[in-house]
Amino acid sequence: MIRRVPVLAAALAALAFLALPIVAIFARLSWGNLAHELSSSLVTDALVVSLKTTVVAQVLVLVFGTPAAYVLATHRFRGRSLVVTLVELPIVLPPAVAGIGLLAAFGRFGLLHTSLPFTQAAVVLAVVFVSGPLYVRQAIAAFEAVDETLVAASRTLGARPMKTFFRVVVPLARGGLGAGEALAFARGLGEFGATIMFAGSLQGVTQTLPLAVYAEFDVDFHTALALGGLLVLVSAVLLVTLKWLASSSTSAFRFALSTSS
Amino acid sequence: MPAALLLAKLTVYAAASLTNVLPQIDAAPQYSFGGSNTLAAQIQLGAPADVFASANTALPLQLYQKGLCTQPVVFTRNTLVLIIPKSNPAGIHSVYDLQKPGVKLDVAAVGVPVGSYTRQILKNMALTSVLNNVVSNETDVREVLAKVALGEADAGFVYSTDAKTVPGQVTVLKLPAWAQPKVQYGICVVKSSPNAAAAQAFVKKVLSKAGQAKLLAAGFLPRVKPKTAP
Repeated sequence: MIRRVPVLAAALAALAFLALPIVAIFARLSWGNLAHELSSSLVTDALVVSLKTTVVAQVLVLVFGTPAAYVLATHRFRGRSLVVTLVELPIVLPPAVAGIGLLAAFGRFGLLHTSLPFTQAAVVLAVVFVSGPLYVRQAIAAFEAVDETLVAASRTLGARPMKTFFRVVVPLARGGLGAGEALAFARGLGEFGATIMFAGSLQGVTQTLPLAVYAEFDVDFHTALALGGLLVLVSAVLLVTLKWLASSSTSAFRFALSTSS
Repeated sequence: MPAALLLAKLTVYAAASLTNVLPQIDAAPQYSFGGSNTLAAQIQLGAPADVFASANTALPLQLYQKGLCTQPVVFTRNTLVLIIPKSNPAGIHSVYDLQKPGVKLDVAAVGVPVGSYTRQILKNMALTSVLNNVVSNETDVREVLAKVALGEADAGFVYSTDAKTVPGQVTVLKLPAWAQPKVQYGICVVKSSPNAAAAQAFVKKVLSKAGQAKLLAAGFLPRVKPKTAP
């Protein structure tokens, strides 16, 4: 039993280390000026740009990522593991590499010769690229965990594939899908490196909250701190909401959550 | 003083525009290049810099007044130019073409030295309206250079020395001397430096004949404006 002490100590150290920077942001905030600092147009513009691009990006992630994940989870084909690895690659890619890649692909002189750089659409693309794989990866696992006999039962009872997918598969996989989307949402909201390289930084257009924190860092550290605090709160609220949505369930298949999330 | 600190390499925080030239003057130190304003903010928060070389004199002067570094000295000067990609997608042939609607102009942010020089020169030329065409406020001059050299931006304001580092990729449009802001680079030794002697020696090296010759070769201007007109 004596071994539990070092384990506990290590756990406490890990928790303290993770919590300290978050606590420090709020500890160093000058609460008196907070309202003033957060009401500047730089902050409100960044908040609007961040929320707008994150929401659009996550809708795209869900709309395109869900079918992609389902196909990869239910089909076995030659080269499947290669495809899955490719899908997962952006997760481990340094954001700067993602930025270079997006420029090489969608830049004016990139492969596709688009005029996307410096637009809000470029922010959305950067967010989709870095956050989408987090959702798809989790969604594949969630779909793989769905009991095939239930899917088969739905089909033999006469439900069409689409109906089976939305009424049986998605509810069963919901825990994993929600958890994946929560991660993707949070990662997308915090996206920085690919955005600043591919979309630039312009107030009201492409300057998201993380970019505003960086821009304010050397102009006014207190505004940067206030922005940081705001970003922590927005992220926390989103994360908690998504987790709650994923787990608050009246479903009879609740047992499925524990295996997939 | 712990031996490890004495053996540690000299750490020089320097303006991004000095990226190519400082290692030519002295290859030994560890360099951290970036926007001078970012570097100054980091030094104020206790970053382990021994020397601060800024693209203006205001930032090192601020640190000096806060007791964070020695009195800065001017070690070189520079001029501002307008650069366009070799392909010139927006058809820009003079600074006045920047007024055309839809031009993608890339500049450095206000707090970055080159960003404030950019706004000064536009003000001097009564061209501040072109700032409506800005597509991005970059964090240092090399970001502007990269985005124009890549052809993503149609034009950008950088130092003439930056343009020289990407020959063949950009076309340089000179800006009139009468409109040029006073671009002076200041250098100082950070007070908390455990390598103060080595830091002083580095500053001396930059100010030395050999150091100045390297700066001139890279296109920088002599630290003191020649008194006699050529």
